[in-house]
Amino acid sequence: MSSVKQSAIWELETRQLLLPKLDHEVAECEDFIAADAETCRFAVADGATEAFDARNWARKLAQNWVQTQSALTAEEFREWVATEGRELHASWNGLNLSWYSEEKARTGSFAALVGVELDFNAESPSWKAIALGDSCLLHCRNGSLLKSLPLSRPESFNSAPVLVASDASMHETSMTSVVIDSGNCDNRDVLLLLSDAMACWFLERLEKGDLDPNELLETKDDEELKQFFDDERLAGRMRNDDLAVLRIELIGGE
Amino acid sequence: MYSAQITRANPTCIVLLIDQSGSMSDPFSGDSSRKKADFVAEVVNHTLHDLVIRCTKTEEVRNYYHVAVIGYGRSVGTCFSHELGARQMVPIAQVADYPLQVKSSYKRVSDGAGGWVEIPVRYPVWIHPSADGKTPMCDALGKVKEILERWLAEHPHGFPPTVLHLTDGESSDGDPDEIGQQIMSLGTDDGAVLLFNCHISSRRATKIEYPTEGASLPDGFARSLFQISSRLPPNFLSAAAQLGVNVVEGSRGFVFNGDPSSIVQFYEIGTSLTGMTPYRWMDDDRRTELA
Repeated sequence: MSSVKQSAIWELETRQLLLPKLDHEVAECEDFIAADAETCRFAVADGATEAFDARNWARKLAQNWVQTQSALTAEEFREWVATEGRELHASWNGLNLSWYSEEKARTGSFAALVGVELDFNAESPSWKAIALGDSCLLHCRNGSLLKSLPLSRPESFNSAPVLVASDASMHETSMTSVVIDSGNCDNRDVLLLLSDAMACWFLERLEKGDLDPNELLETKDDEELKQFFDDERLAGRMRNDDLAVLRIELIGGE
Repeated sequence: MYSAQITRANPTCIVLLIDQSGSMSDPFSGDSSRKKADFVAEVVNHTLHDLVIRCTKTEEVRNYYHVAVIGYGRSVGTCFSHELGARQMVPIAQVADYPLQVKSSYKRVSDGAGGWVEIPVRYPVWIHPSADGKTPMCDALGKVKEILERWLAEHPHGFPPTVLHLTDGESSDGDPDEIGQQIMSLGTDDGAVLLFNCHISSRRATKIEYPTEGASLPDGFARSLFQISSRLPPNFLSAAAQLGVNVVEGSRGFVFNGDPSSIVQFYEIGTSLTGMTPYRWMDDDRRTELA
């Protein structure tokens, strides 16, 4: 848990959790969380398991998006992704690849990305988010869900979402699925950036109303949370996938 | 059922069973230049290529699948040779590392801006066409049963094995019903072994794809193969629908009098497993040409 003062009256309390698939090493985790207090940007990216160099692509997208000043409109985002993609592909030059790695690299890499920027310049803070894929932003107030994007129903999570492709030749079609949205925040509002399995689980829990997942993140320590989500995955209540959670609570304004 | 996650700890297995009898050297109807055996070998090589690519994680191939390619004709046995020839069931990472050869070619793809570009592609080859002898289908299915029993003893959990059987004629060593039923009675705690059959024809005959009932099939042989064809689980139905194939709940993994395009689809649907989007290695122009 960390706390950062954003203005004279607002501060952010953040908490993050990153867990690899059950029986996998942390080094194999393809989810990434990035936060930058200066730009007030936060992001979660989830590399596609079947893609070439997906871990690097997810890391690059999350880390570089929070550091850039742009990429919050569809046009800027497309241009920014194209540049990042070219850099990623350039990093593969000179690698001595087997036939299968070469074939895999030819189709490029894929990842889901959701990023949010907070603005404290106006009287009340606001957020603006961009997402492509199935990593989600959930905006909660007093334990209720105000908004979820790009997906808002648990049944919308399937195995073939449109993702951020590193190969710009795919952007003509894939970028039409980019979702951009915004909202205003009150004191104690919570923004959650979640990779797909976690987002699906959160939405299910909120829909059923049998458990307040926010409370869970507030009351349990890291070890307890890890055990809890391991149990959920073992019991099949949650897909056995990498899990990323970035919880941002806005405090102040009074 | 049929919902287990396929992982390295819980892999699944895929058996490609291929008729390599003498009649496979006949051409498809209307295309005297293309022997059935040549086309089937091409499709099998592409299928193996697809399975390897799916398991490739940057520079490593993960053993999500174990694969057997069994041929039957003059003899019954693995179609793999050299380094892979010693084992019936091979982990996919070894399949990846030991193709017989890797051919290089160029493929035309969209440049994303309305034009086309030629890009280099690699075509690994694991099996060569073969067509000789009779059609010992029962013997071959018996071999598959033996391989599966051995594999299942070590892998009782996880996504059940899939057997994709391709033939162009009737069995020369008896009715395959009994041995087929025995294979379908095997399984893991996630479901029974899936046995899918694709019959291809040299004649220009009406093809029947993924039927729900066998009563209207043209003859006893077709009905016999229908009886030993598993129902397509939901994941496979969804993959078939994505390929534009007309399937409904209750459709069997069965094709009769199939043409070349039926073979391509049969392997694409049969290897879709957990509902993954089928990998379309053949471009649409060529599919239209084959249909």
